[in-house]
Amino acid sequence: MSRWSRRLVALCGASVLALASQAALAKDVSVAAISGYFSQGFGVAIVEGLKKAEADLGVKVKLVDTGNRALDYEEQFNNLAKGGEYDIVFVMGWELVDALQKTAEAYPNTKFVFIDGVLDSKHVVYANFAQNEGSFLAGALAGLMAEKGSEIDGLGDGKAIGFVGGRDIPVIRDFMVGYEQGAKAAAPDVRLDAVFAGTFDDPAKGSELTMALYGQGSDIVYNVAGPTGEGVLQASAAAGKYSIGVDVNQCNVAPGHVMASMLKNANVAVYDLVKDVVDGKTLEPGSVHTANVKTGGVELLLCPDVADKIPADVKAKLEELKADIASGKIKVATTTQ
Amino acid sequence: MSDRFDSFFGQALAILFALGLGALVILTVDESPMRVLVTLLNGAFGSPERIAGTLLQTTPILICGIAACISFRAGLFNIGIEGQLFMGGFWATWVGFSFNLPPALHLLLAMAAAVFAGMAWIAIPAFFRARYKTNEVVSTILANYVAILITSYLTINWFKRSGGQSETPPIFESAYLPELFSFSRLNWGLIIGLALALAVHFFFTRTSRGYAISEMGANPKFAEYGGIDIKKQTFLVLIASGAVGGMAGGVEALGVHHRFMEGFAPGFGFDGVIAALLANGNPIGTIFTALFFGALRSGSLLLEVDTTASREIITVIQALIILAVSAQITIRRKASDSTAGERRWKF
Repeated sequence: MSRWSRRLVALCGASVLALASQAALAKDVSVAAISGYFSQGFGVAIVEGLKKAEADLGVKVKLVDTGNRALDYEEQFNNLAKGGEYDIVFVMGWELVDALQKTAEAYPNTKFVFIDGVLDSKHVVYANFAQNEGSFLAGALAGLMAEKGSEIDGLGDGKAIGFVGGRDIPVIRDFMVGYEQGAKAAAPDVRLDAVFAGTFDDPAKGSELTMALYGQGSDIVYNVAGPTGEGVLQASAAAGKYSIGVDVNQCNVAPGHVMASMLKNANVAVYDLVKDVVDGKTLEPGSVHTANVKTGGVELLLCPDVADKIPADVKAKLEELKADIASGKIKVATTTQ
Repeated sequence: MSDRFDSFFGQALAILFALGLGALVILTVDESPMRVLVTLLNGAFGSPERIAGTLLQTTPILICGIAACISFRAGLFNIGIEGQLFMGGFWATWVGFSFNLPPALHLLLAMAAAVFAGMAWIAIPAFFRARYKTNEVVSTILANYVAILITSYLTINWFKRSGGQSETPPIFESAYLPELFSFSRLNWGLIIGLALALAVHFFFTRTSRGYAISEMGANPKFAEYGGIDIKKQTFLVLIASGAVGGMAGGVEALGVHHRFMEGFAPGFGFDGVIAALLANGNPIGTIFTALFFGALRSGSLLLEVDTTASREIITVIQALIILAVSAQITIRRKASDSTAGERRWKF
């Protein structure tokens, strides 16, 4: 070996060392996400949050698309966990729950984070959303607007607001109690008419129920009903009244008639969890991390094409309530704990 | 004999051609085809668990392939195996969670429900094909969508378990199809598939009934002249094909998932049809083509994790194989077949 080549080797060795120490400084965290929905709604938000973490925190990010074959899920989870190279694996989609629980138990060193839901398994970390807090703001908006009545284009003087839930289950009730509390806090005289469709998959039924609510004097209806809720939003356009969207930005489903959307910002929730790990915090198995109004994981987005119809004093009151929830001055009731 | 060799050689060449094209596609996504190939092989055969995983993927493709072989031999095209699989899977699960019976009996009954559901689901297309010569390709394909939506409706609206999952309650353990090894979900379904392949092969090559049906597939006019009741045989062959399709669903439900859910086993029916086509409708050949597709599927799961290439690359390669093979069959038929007369499909 010539002197030059020896020197070259030494140089390489030194630079490898330098690189390694730099990587150690960047906390060398690898993150994976596994889901069949990276191209839609919630999944897009997750990818956004991870890309931000990749850019800001220097973590390595891997996305694994599960496809839609139930037979594949377990092997895909095994392939991800087996190498032990990923510190956190985000999981989204209820069809993956079975494979998730098995794998999380078999590979305790990999932290699996289930997004938007809490299961019985004590081996999984949960990223949940304080939907009650977001719904509180939605209720406050609806209440304040109903109080204004016919001052506002498209509203009557029924002094009532509506709620259409999917099935009558604890999670949906959680939205409802928040909505009710918000409406009462902001506009005590406004009445709440709440109904459950009994199904998440029937837009026609959602539409029918909404028309009935409009008939009873409600002018603003909040949908928490998945695809059934699409019918709620469409009914608001058909009746020339208003509705409120849920989970993702639904302003474009019935432009001009969806007053606001209660957003669950998965991008914020995911980014915050990755940041926690980079900062050296451990995610305890079984723990529930709730993204709320304070963290920005849950927020009420006023739809741009309706925003100018909302009076300034209503907007100001909403900001005030939001600050009160964030500071803990207002405690929003919940049905899921 | 040389005809058979030609056919094998042609298929192999077509697959190689498709793999070459696939390599080009991989290059366009900035991944090395060699690395993809190594990862595929590792994912499919890298460890006992992975070999079992490959066989696990092979099982439904094989059974669906046998269902397809049965109809192809008679010159019929059952493309509705997907629907028969969903129906079979659902009703096997239904028996599995609705009744509490002694172990062997429960399993048998659940499997019988799967077979019966598959037969029932093809009965209408089969009747119209036999009686009025309605094109079975169209009617069986259309029945697929109906089956998938009906089973999903029943799952969500009638039998959904509590919680966020869109699935039925789990079946009782007495209806489980036993697993072969402790480290994998691979189960007796594989043995059932292999036994079916042998039985169907035996039927078509060693029994007079099987010979009559093959004859009907090769030349219906001649078979009718020879005294075969075409209508009756057509109906029965399609029903038998549907029964095996239903059984594929039963094996998946009772052996692997132990429940029925939305997106139960999408695509296996079509994979089976392709596996049978590649094998020229030969059940023994289908064992190998199903294994080939099973290995591709299983390998692709590691591909998604270990490389930047998407799992979907396998779908592209599969489609290229279908193109290459059908082109090859057409060319061969044009070259050799001026005498076939009434033949619809040559196997």
